[in-house]
Order: sequence, then structure tokens, then C-alpha cells
Amino acid sequence: MKEEKYYGKFGGQYVSESLMNTLDELSKAFEEAIADPKFIEEYNYYLKQYVGRETPLYKAERLSKKYGAKIYLKREDLNHTGAHKINNVIGQILLAKRMGKTKIIAETGAGQHGVATATGAALFNMECTVYMGEEDIKRQSLNVFRMELLGAKVEAVKTGSRTLKDATNEAIRSWAKNAEDTFYIIGSAVGPYPYPKMVKEFQKVISVEAKKQILEQEGRLPDAVVACVGGGSNSIGMFADFIEEKDVKLVGVEAGGLGIETGKHASAMALGKMGTLHGMRTYLLQDENGNIDLAHSISAGLDYPGVGPEHAYLRDSGRVEYVSITDKECMEALMELNELEGILPAIESAHALAHVIKMAKEMKEDQIIVMCLSGRGDKDINTIQKYIRGEETNK
Amino acid sequence: MNRIETRMKTLEERNEKAFITYITAGLPNYEKTKEIIKTSMEAGCDVIELGIPFSDPVADGPVIQDASFRAINNGATLAKTFEMMKEIRAEGVEQAILFMMYYNHVYHLGVENFVKACIESGVDGLIIPDLPFEEQDELKNELSKYDNAPILIQLVAPVSKQRIPMILENARGFVYCVSQMGVTGNGANFHKEIREYLENVKAVSKIPVMMGFGIRTYEDVESLVDTIDGAIVGSHFIKLLDESAYDCKVSADYIREFKSKLND
Repeated sequence: MKEEKYYGKFGGQYVSESLMNTLDELSKAFEEAIADPKFIEEYNYYLKQYVGRETPLYKAERLSKKYGAKIYLKREDLNHTGAHKINNVIGQILLAKRMGKTKIIAETGAGQHGVATATGAALFNMECTVYMGEEDIKRQSLNVFRMELLGAKVEAVKTGSRTLKDATNEAIRSWAKNAEDTFYIIGSAVGPYPYPKMVKEFQKVISVEAKKQILEQEGRLPDAVVACVGGGSNSIGMFADFIEEKDVKLVGVEAGGLGIETGKHASAMALGKMGTLHGMRTYLLQDENGNIDLAHSISAGLDYPGVGPEHAYLRDSGRVEYVSITDKECMEALMELNELEGILPAIESAHALAHVIKMAKEMKEDQIIVMCLSGRGDKDINTIQKYIRGEETNK
Repeated sequence: MNRIETRMKTLEERNEKAFITYITAGLPNYEKTKEIIKTSMEAGCDVIELGIPFSDPVADGPVIQDASFRAINNGATLAKTFEMMKEIRAEGVEQAILFMMYYNHVYHLGVENFVKACIESGVDGLIIPDLPFEEQDELKNELSKYDNAPILIQLVAPVSKQRIPMILENARGFVYCVSQMGVTGNGANFHKEIREYLENVKAVSKIPVMMGFGIRTYEDVESLVDTIDGAIVGSHFIKLLDESAYDCKVSADYIREFKSKLND
């Protein structure tokens, strides 16, 4: 039993005793659900008819021509609500419904997972509370308004750094209090077991589709698959169906902020310091006293001091290479995708793109890279504007 | 013998109930923390729970969160708390003191180093709310290597139900009964089946049963006092200290009153 809760030495259930039975119930309900064809059918139905899947795998012709390898974009930005987050929300909310829960809670940083959860809650008529740091509420007022339009209550978190880390703390506290009727929808591949497993299960559709599509379009598997990593939900979904394909190189891109050497970044794996937070054992940004450090990134969605436990495992086992891209590099890539392909990516996704460009320069023309374009950049318009004007974009 | 177990034995022989308070280490500073410990012990507190302030205290409510935040800003750390423990032991404090902390601090120092530091500085017990029974092996293995290692206090919750016998089987010192769902310091909103739950724990437990979370005054636990061997006050005690500008006379009076009513 204990083994399956771990990815190597990472993962586990570092939560209070009050939540242990809840996690146990959740694990059982989840395993039963994914073994039930009717549940899977319902999940697939909503992904197709509501979310708008499958999403295209688009060959970025001009980008490919410029950098010298075939670059394919998995267009998760074309999903309903504008990012991959909705895939997981649909899965978890159907599970919540199946378990007879009537209330939903979620944490959010930039507001994308909050909007996706509020959307799912409206769709399935559930009461929804979203925990969001007071700082993020200021930075992302449009998403706050969207969540409220969808009927969700946005709870301002005023403790600690007042960002995603503290919003997650508060969601866990609220869950521990109300677990008897409340389902906690975690948006990233983090948290206590079975959350990392659930999020992977409900995001793996990204790689299942991408694999089929690249085989259709190119008749072979790609040479490399690339995705950005905050907590790691789009990337674990993008890697899932390629992990066993040993000839496919997998690359996760963390946010390098102002540069690893400055200490102002969100690359939990770059320093490789293990710890426990939010119910899991994983790599975390920490100070010399064992307190959790604040992450720094121009992208609110990658602004998290930890990483999902399976990523930590994939790093140590060497199956996935993890690299960092700075604020500056990702913004240059973001501009370029606008100019060359007419696509405005989320700043998160632009991190993956920046690394894809670096890789393509070293590759041959017939080599193939598939990257996850995890979300659209409309939500980032204000940040992009500030960046171009040279104004402060973070905090 | 471990100081907590010694104290529990003494209380049992005297047929008395225990009173335990929580304070945040280094708030407002370490000198004051030492003074609070000493005056609280003199006033009749049986065990001191010393909270190690952590950046992300998920098991704590607003009062202890805020106290932890301020303590960290004032420079409180695990390393300095070990130093303070050494000093207070050197100054002759022989009562039971345990750490309430989060596992990341243990892990960050390294389990082996942590256990050694506890022994060297006279820490008698550990309460780690984010280390449930299933995750304790690593720490327990290290603790079991030394006769004078601190004991790991087990927590049970109102929803623990079938888990209670497993958790209590080898538990030592006392069992910490969390009185409500959620976090520390949420008024006296005890769980709706609190009596049945406490009786259930009492029936299984071979060691004293302490109730904590949300207790402010003796009156909060009066109707349940026959089912418990003692009470733990955290958030309310922090508030009391804050509101009295850390007047140790105020906190000592509070302890005396609670303790005497508890054993009336």
C-alpha cells in the first residue's frame, strides 16, 4: 500500500491525521471511477462536447523554417477557458459528483485553475470557493471577476506571501475542516497521494492525442517532447504517454525568473533540495532555516516553490531533463510566436517555447519537436504590456 | 525515564489531570520565551509545547499562523530554539518540554542530526501534525536508536475511527486528541460527536488522553472533563500573552486558575 503512494522517494501523504481517512476514501473512489467504463465515457463526452477536444497538433511552419527543426505545437490554448487546466477539473468534478460531495474548493495563483474550477462548478451546479492570495487578486483582477461571474466565491488569502503557496495552505486548512462534504480540486500535479496520480490521469489525454497525431502527420514518434513545469500538470500530461518511448527525449522547463544565480526564480529542481510541503515530499525552494522560500517568475502560473513528486522522480531517474528559462528568454519567445505564427501563448507556455527554439538550433531539419502550448496569453496582456514598457512585472 | 512519561506517572499517582500550554518559540524573543516557560511551569503547567515557527503552518489557524510569521520575522529558527533549550536546561529547568513542529524542519536538518540535536538540548517529545502514522517510520527508526531520544506524540482526530487502535498501539507519553476538524484555535466548536469520540479513545488508550484545539477556558471542557486526562491550550494562550504585552503574571494566573478548576 505504502509503495504506491510514492514515486521513488518522492510523494507520500504528509497531511494531518484528520485527512487520512479522507485521502483513503478518495483513493478508493478514484480507482473505482477510472475502472468504470461509464465514468470514462462521461469524462470523454465532456472533453469532446464541452472542452472542445481533441485539440490540434499544429506544425509551426515559419518557426520551424527559421530554427531548423520541425516544431509542432499541441494547442491546449484552444480548450474552453483557454488552457489545459479544464481537462483535470472535468475529471475531478465528475469524481466529486460520484462521491456525493456538494461543495468544491480550489486554490489558484494566476486564476486559470480558479476559472476552470468555477466553470466546472457552474456546469455541475456545485457550490465553489476559490482561495487566492491577496497579491494575486491584485495582479489578476480580470480572472477574479470571471470567477465571480461564474458564481464562485473568491476568498482572499492574507497570510504569508499572499500568493499561490499560501492560497494552497488555506485551501488545505479549509478542506481539513470541511472534508465531510467538500471536495478539494487541486490544479497541479502536486499534493498528497492520490492527487499527483489523479492529475496525471486526467491530463494524460494531452499526450495520448499528441502521440496519435504525430504518427498521423509524420508517421513516426518525435525526437523530443517539451513542456513547461510549475507544479507540473501540463507537463506530466504531455509526458505521460511518451515515458515508455525510450527514444523520445523529454524536457521539462522550469521558470528561471531573473536567473538561478540571482536567487529570484521558481526552479525547484535546479537546486535539488528535498523537503515536505502541501502533503508531499519533493524538491522545494527553501532557505537555510528550512522555511519555504518564495518563488519568482514573470509567469504567475509557474510561481510555485515546489514541483510535483513524479517530476522529482523523473529528474532523479534521468528519464526527463529539466532546464530553466529566464523571464527575458520567455518573453522574447512569446513575441516571436506572435510575429511568426499569429499565436499569443501564455507566458507559462512561452518558457517551453524558448527552450524549443534553443534545441531546434542544434537539431537537423528532419528532426521533430512536439511542445505543449499549455494556454493562451490573453490573461497576460497587462503583464506583457508592462514588460514591453519596462515596468515592474512581478510583485 | 522520559520527562513527559515521568510527569504523566506522577499525575496518575496523584489522580490529577494535566494542563499543557503552547507557546511559539522566539516570540517576541528568546529571553521572553524562557521567562514564559519558567513562570508557566511554576504556575503548574505540566508540559510546555514549544512551537517551532514554520513558514507554512497548514495545521494552524490564524492566531498561531500570525504568531509564527512574527516569530520568523523576529529571527526565530529551529537552530536558535535548540540553543535556547540548552540554556534553559543549564539553568535548571527540569520539566517536560516538547516541540510542536512541521516535518520539513526535521527533514531539512536531516533526521539523524535532528534527533541528536533534540537529545543534546533536552527535548522530551515531538508533535508533528503533518507526519501521520504511515509516514513516521523514517523518524521512528532514528529515535529508536537512543534510549534518551524524545518521544513522538500521536495525534488522533474525530474522524480517525478505525485507525485509532493502530495509532495508539505503541504510543507513548500521552495521546493528543484533536477536538475538532481543521486547524488550531477555532473557538470551542468541538466536533458534533466529541464525547463518543473521546470515550472511544479513552477505552483503547493505555496512556493519558489529552484534548486540544479550540480550548479557551476550563468552562469549554467542563462537560467533557470526565472523559479526558488533561487539556491543551494553544491559540488562546498566545492571544492572552499578546494582549497582556507578555506579562508573565497574567499567563501564570490563567494557568493556576485552569489547573485548579481542572482538578477541583
